[in-house]
Amino acid sequence: MTTRTQTDALRGSLDLLVLKTLSLVPMHGWGISQRIQQISEGILEVNQGSLYPALQRLEKNGLISSDWGTTDNNRRARYYRLTAAGRRALGQELESWKRFATGLDAVLRST
Amino acid sequence: MSWVSGVRARLRLIFAPRAAESRMNEEMAFHMEMETDRLVREERLSRDEARRRANVAFGGVTQHKEELRNGRGLAWLGGLSLDMKLGFRMLVKYPGLTLVGGLAMAFAIWVGAVTFEIVGLFLYPTLPLPDGDRIVQIRNWDAAANSAEPRVLQDFITWRRVLTSITDIGTYRDVTRNLIVDGAGDARPVAVAEITPAAFRIAPAAPLHGRVLVEADERAGAPPVVVIGYELWRTRFASDVNVVGRSVRLDDMFATVVGVMPEGFAFPVSHELWMPLHVDALALAPGEGVDINVFGKLAPGVTRKAAQAELTWLGLRTAAQRPDTHKHVLPRVDAYAELFRDRSHTDVALLLSINVFAMMLTVLLCGNVALLLFARAATRESELIVRSALGASRRRIIVQLFVEALVLGGVASAVGLAAAHVGLHQWGRDYIELNMGRLPFWADPHLSLATVLYTLVLMVLGAAIAGVLPALKITRGLGSNLKQATAGGGSLRFGGVWTAVIITQVALTVAFPVVAYVEQRELVRIQSFDVGFAAAEYLAVRLDMDGAIVPETDAEKAHTAQNVRFGAALEAVRQRVLAEPGVGGVTFVDRLPRASHRERMIELDEPPVLNAKGVLPLREVSLASIDPSYFDVLKAPMLAGRAFHTGDAASGVRVVIVDQGFVDQVLLGRNAIGRRFRFAGSDDEPRPWYEIVGVVKDLGMGLATHMRRAAGVYMPASLASGGPFNMVVHVQGDPLVLVPRVRTIATSVDPTLQASEPQRLSDVASGILWFLGLWLRITVVLTAIALLLSLAGIYAVLSFTVTRRTREIGVRVALGANRRRVVTAIFRRPLTQVGLGVMAGGVLVGVAALIRSDGGLSAGQVALLLAYVMLMLGICLLACVVPTWRALKVEPTVALRAE
Repeated sequence: MTTRTQTDALRGSLDLLVLKTLSLVPMHGWGISQRIQQISEGILEVNQGSLYPALQRLEKNGLISSDWGTTDNNRRARYYRLTAAGRRALGQELESWKRFATGLDAVLRST
Repeated sequence: MSWVSGVRARLRLIFAPRAAESRMNEEMAFHMEMETDRLVREERLSRDEARRRANVAFGGVTQHKEELRNGRGLAWLGGLSLDMKLGFRMLVKYPGLTLVGGLAMAFAIWVGAVTFEIVGLFLYPTLPLPDGDRIVQIRNWDAAANSAEPRVLQDFITWRRVLTSITDIGTYRDVTRNLIVDGAGDARPVAVAEITPAAFRIAPAAPLHGRVLVEADERAGAPPVVVIGYELWRTRFASDVNVVGRSVRLDDMFATVVGVMPEGFAFPVSHELWMPLHVDALALAPGEGVDINVFGKLAPGVTRKAAQAELTWLGLRTAAQRPDTHKHVLPRVDAYAELFRDRSHTDVALLLSINVFAMMLTVLLCGNVALLLFARAATRESELIVRSALGASRRRIIVQLFVEALVLGGVASAVGLAAAHVGLHQWGRDYIELNMGRLPFWADPHLSLATVLYTLVLMVLGAAIAGVLPALKITRGLGSNLKQATAGGGSLRFGGVWTAVIITQVALTVAFPVVAYVEQRELVRIQSFDVGFAAAEYLAVRLDMDGAIVPETDAEKAHTAQNVRFGAALEAVRQRVLAEPGVGGVTFVDRLPRASHRERMIELDEPPVLNAKGVLPLREVSLASIDPSYFDVLKAPMLAGRAFHTGDAASGVRVVIVDQGFVDQVLLGRNAIGRRFRFAGSDDEPRPWYEIVGVVKDLGMGLATHMRRAAGVYMPASLASGGPFNMVVHVQGDPLVLVPRVRTIATSVDPTLQASEPQRLSDVASGILWFLGLWLRITVVLTAIALLLSLAGIYAVLSFTVTRRTREIGVRVALGANRRRVVTAIFRRPLTQVGLGVMAGGVLVGVAALIRSDGGLSAGQVALLLAYVMLMLGICLLACVVPTWRALKVEPTVALRAE
């Protein structure tokens, strides 16, 4: 049960990171992984392979959509973009994450 | 519209798996390339090293791909197809189980499909006509008599004029007429619908030749016309394409053929010929006239409820205007296609309960198949344990075993449905018609889509019982069994439920052959019954005459005149038939020997005499009205007293002749001549005494299926007392050769005289014999399946026991135990189950025989029963031979190595 909760939490945070990354500009999978790493300054190093199941899950839930496109160096790549529902979900997720972080922070400070 | 893109994404993933797969590969390859390029660029690694590092950073490619595939949503479909493949392999690998289990399930499906189809036919008939569900019948319902009042000519005219919620209102009268085709000689009665032309709008069908009936044909003075059905056209007119315009005779009326209807057309019920109903001529006083049936079609957009509301309003108005005839009468609108008119809730419940029985049979049979599948699964325990150890969940294994049973059920269902299709097609109609008379055109027993869907439900139910029950049991605690299995001994046991299943199954197996035996004996009894005369030498033909339509006031006079005409016609036919070569005698009787007779209770004109057991002897007698020449023609001399003479048939003379069955059972063998009896009833009405003047031998006064000997009473009848009568003709050679002559004679004597149902007198019981034969075949199949299942079940249990305990047998024999004693100890439990089952079955049969025998079993019968039980025990033990032999052959070294 514990393992399951941890997995869910990790999966949830990865989804949040992907949504946040895509909120700026449409991006392909490798781009997303690089972006997360850059912004977190290497702290959040996602297992690159696990990104794709997350992308598929988000697409199935209608939070992102995807299309083939061409990269700067003329390579064919799958580009993901946020849908309206994804944007709404991102807002809610951010709100809830902030609450969680504040709560956690308060607990850690008091002890 | 993000949900749209979500749905699109899901559908793409599910239904375009190849595209999804190639997209996944391409994306991952792109990712690797990009990462490799970055590492080469930023960290100055060699390309090979960069690729290796990219691979490491990506994580297990295969694992991620698998996760993606699982995420597509139909991962279970892949598992299902694998399970199905495995299921088919199992069918081939265990042919014995496939045959026995499949046969049992196929039989359950067959029974389920046939009963569902026939029950549906009765309860939810559909009319195969355009807008069939909007076609209705209108009837007057007499609340006081709680029955329909069919004399509604007056009301019909009002309904047709006033009603707006029902259109195309028409009516028909159901009559039988002799059709005489010029040059075709003999006349045959045909089912005629005297009908209004609206019928051909309700049931639109383009005539094959000519035209249908039109309004002009109804008018008074219009030339008489008929439209004929396809079968009549084919058989009676030799498919004459120029039939339109030909003149035919219907009873004593001539009419011109104006049209031929296409094959299958039989509206309104099962009619073969249509002629106009002259409504004007029939406009009689309210509540008078002939019985008619009214039909119509709900107007567009009108519900049956709305139509009923309008009819009720009209009915109440009529009741107020004509309280003398319509005080308790209200018109009712019902669906047209009804086989069971005015059925009660009890009838419906009874009919539906037949389906419940079919389902119970499925449960029972599949319970037995479950036993076999459990034994099979038990032999695969190691495989299942390994699968479980490799990560297969309990649910996954249960699904696998369920799918295996489903595959077996699927094959069995295909066989069962095919058999049901053949059965319904070949015998369905005959079977129902034998019980209910001629079926309406809409009652066509065939496999409908609803029936096929229903059998699919039965199949899933069967597979759930046969597959899931054993799976639940076998997968309980699989994990802990892992250790035991590797230690060399399985943990599976046949528990209490299986014990009960085996015992019940063996008991039923013992009982079923007895049922088949009883049916077979009944069949032989009916076939070989001595009717008391050479029945095969006699021809029987039913003669009847339909009355003309007359006003109520003249009905009695017309009825008497009709009877006189009928009597004179029969007498004339007798004389003409007697003059035919080879005819030895002609006589008349209302009920043929071995057909059903009227039954009445009587009381004797003497103080009650008790029989040897101290109870009042039989008082229920079978009645037949006969022409005085009856016994002469049947060559049955009087055993005592005198025969009838012509004067006996006059009213006021109350003499009867009884048969030997009457003397033996009612009079306990005492002299019959001169004794008097009367029919039981209330003293409010006169109950005259009848005097017995003669005794004859038994001449088949009971219905063929009656077990009890009948007590027959013959009453003299005048031919002018009203029909119908059966003419019995003694013929030299094959009696059926005379049939065309009899038809010609009957028609030439009186065109309204209808000759039908010609048959040898020895064939009267043939319908019942066919019916019993069919049941016998079904019982034999059921018996064979029960026996097979039972033997397979016992075999499976014993084989299972031997397999499970091979090691134990080996060890015990190696330690010096006597081989036979070891085997006996191991088989004690299954053998006890078989013994208990056989005993239970024997008791079941014994109790049934005791109830049927009506007072104790003789020593011979008990011995027969015991011998039968021993025989069944022997047969059941046969199933033990192979497993026992295998157990005895177990070599200790082999046994120890085996694990």
